[in-house]
This record gives sequence, C-alpha cells and structure tokens, in this order.
Amino acid sequence: MLFRVDPTSTVPLGDQIAASVRRAVAEGAVVPGERLPAARVLAESLGVNVHTVLRGYQRLREEGLIELRRGRGAAITAGASPQRARLLERVREAVADARDLGMTEDELLALVRSELDA
Amino acid sequence: MTSKNLGRATLAALPFVLALLVDLVLHLTVKDRLPARLAVHFDAGGSADGYMGITAHLLYTVTSLLVLGALWAFIAADGKLYGRAHRWFIGGGFAVAAFLGYLMIAVLFVNVDAPESGPDGGFPLRHIAVALGAAVLAGVLGLLCSRLVPAVEDPRDADPANRERIALADGEVAGWARGIGVWWAPVAVLVLLATGVTVGLEVNWFIGAPLFVLALVVATFCRPHVTVDRRGLTVSGLLPRPRVRVPLERMAGADSRRVNALAEYGGWGYRIRPERSGVITRSGEAIVVSLSSGREFAVTVDDSATGAALLNTLLDRQRTGR
Repeated sequence: MLFRVDPTSTVPLGDQIAASVRRAVAEGAVVPGERLPAARVLAESLGVNVHTVLRGYQRLREEGLIELRRGRGAAITAGASPQRARLLERVREAVADARDLGMTEDELLALVRSELDA
Repeated sequence: MTSKNLGRATLAALPFVLALLVDLVLHLTVKDRLPARLAVHFDAGGSADGYMGITAHLLYTVTSLLVLGALWAFIAADGKLYGRAHRWFIGGGFAVAAFLGYLMIAVLFVNVDAPESGPDGGFPLRHIAVALGAAVLAGVLGLLCSRLVPAVEDPRDADPANRERIALADGEVAGWARGIGVWWAPVAVLVLLATGVTVGLEVNWFIGAPLFVLALVVATFCRPHVTVDRRGLTVSGLLPRPRVRVPLERMAGADSRRVNALAEYGGWGYRIRPERSGVITRSGEAIVVSLSSGREFAVTVDDSATGAALLNTLLDRQRTGR
C-alpha cells in the first residue's frame, strides 16, 4: 500500500496517512483482510512519529475501514468496500465545505437529517 | 505442446531412454548366466547385503529410468527453465542417466556367473568412480547437445527508459509497504527446531544449537514485510533486526517482473547467486532492483509494480537532488 504525506500541508499528518489508506481502499488496491504495516515500521518509513501513525489508524478504525487487534496489528475490515471508502471521502468533503461556509455542527447535522427524512 | 517444447522434452528424455535400451540389451545378453537372485545392495566394504529377483531387478531398472526420463521431459517441456538454467538441466539429466545406467549395468555384471550368496569379489568400489566419470562425460555431452534445441527466451527484457513512475509533489514523502505471506516458513521453523533438538540430544549441542538459532531467525521472518521509502528497499521480519536493506545509493533502477524461484534462484529463502540475490518466497511477481554494481536484487511481493514505480521515482528525486 502506498502512503504519502506532505509535511508542508496544513492537513494533519495522521489524517494524511488515513487518507492514503482510504484512497487505496477506494481504488481497490487493497482488499479486506489485508494487513497494514505496523505503526512503528510505517513511522520510520515516512519519518514521522509513531503516535502520528497511530492517530491515523485510530481514525480509520472509527470510520470502520480497519480493525485494530492487540498483537495482530491493523487489518482492513470485511466491510471496507471501495464504495464505502469513497462515501467517507465525500462526507469529509461535505464537512470541510460546511466549515468553510461557517456552518455550526448542529446546522450541518440538521441538513443531513432532513436529507435522510426526505 | 509446441514443436520447440517437443524438441526440448525429447532431448531431456533421450539419455534415460538410451540408458534403458543399453541396460535392456545387456540384460538379455547375460540373462542365462545370472543367478536366480541378484546381489543388488552392497555395504561400504563392497560385500553384498541386499538381494532381488531377476525380474524384480529388471522392473526396478525400467521403472526408475522411465520415471526419471518422464520427469526430465516434463520439466523441460514446461518451459520455465530458460537460458543457462535450461542447458545445465539437460546436462544434469545426461549425467544422472549415465550414472544410474552405468551402476545398474555394473550390478548386473558383477552377478554374472556368481553363486547365490553374491559375487565372490563383492562390488569393486572402482565402479562408483567410473560411474562418476561417466556422469561427468555425459554431462558435458548433454551441455553441448542442449545447444541443438532453441533456448527458452529470457523474460527479463524490460526497457529501463520506460519504467513507471509515481507523481509526487515537491516535498511530499512517500512510502510503500506490503506484507509477504510465507506459508512454508512455519513448517521450516518446526522442521529446523525438531532437527536442532534431536541432533542436540542425540549427537551434540555444537551442531544442534546453530540449527536452533537458525529456526529462531526464520521464525522472525514468518510474516516479513517489504518497505520502499527514502532509505531504499527493506525486507524485515518481526524484529527490527535481522533485516535486508538495499539503499537507494546502490540502485540503478527497479522493475516489476515475474521471477522463477527454482530456475533463477535455485530455491526459496534468502538466495545469493553469482549474478543476483534476493528474498524469494515463491515464483511470481517481484520487485527486481538493478544495482549499480551490475547485480540484481529481487523480492517476491504482490503489487510489485507500485513498489518498483516508487523506487524509480525516489531514484529520480535523488539524482536531481530534491
């Protein structure tokens, strides 16, 4: 799996690592069950802190793309389909756009809810 | 099967067929002078200690040569051995056929006019030396004959100028990592452990202990991973060390191509050959790095195209000093 981070970007490094995995899943480059490199290995490889990598992995876990198991490392979940990864990417874009527009959290959630009820 | 493959298969099987024919003809000429049971196995001193009936011995000779001939023909026709490996394979077949063919004839002839208890003179050990000599001669003949059939084309013909790249922004840091599944590593660990402990208990621990240590090293490589980053290409196991790393400074370029474990590397594991080395866990796709020294280093890993493309990108970066 290809990981790319840009230290000069304003996006936090952990998020950039998460974005790399999301992109790989969206492109079908990785399949469910595949293991991610150990956080220590990836941190050394990219020249970032281990905790930065773990933050990225934690984020992916919250999104349901990977599962973290003690002693077994991180692996892509069975439910991590390219569609799901692309949906997550669009949600992130929607949140970023809403922030740019100055919307509050409640306003955005109200928007999503009205769309769900429609 | 193409006509080329047919030619290769015929040549590979030829020495075994010839050995079989010669054995059969000689068997017929001396048949009436053989005892009812033949001495077919001899101890280190050359005295007979194993016997077989005439028919059983004949069957044994025919079957073993036929099976070996078929095996050689099949592997040659399979076309996975190319270039020099194919020629050595043919030569090896000639050598094996000559060695076995000679020994079987020699066993037959020591039994001529011999009593039931086995030949008086036993089995003169010079026959082994002659068999080895015959093997060398036949091997050379096989090497020469192998030039008669067209060599299998070497699939390694990538054009270095057209190597794939990955578009990276200035200042962007990229790394590629991938695990390798090695299904046979746990088996190897168990075998090494068992052998180490057995040898340690039964013989001595000076031989047993190194096997034990080797088992532990292999154990850390049960689930190795390959990383490509600004430091180069690394294959590491469970622990930070031992590991195999080729720094970017030593590389000229990288390709993704299929490698054949047996034909190109002579087996599996960490292989070092005259012109190439590598971590070879299976036949199939691999990142193959051309080193500045002219040698090659290969790692068998899935999605090798991405890994090789990133290596070439990082090499470009290093050359332009970014």
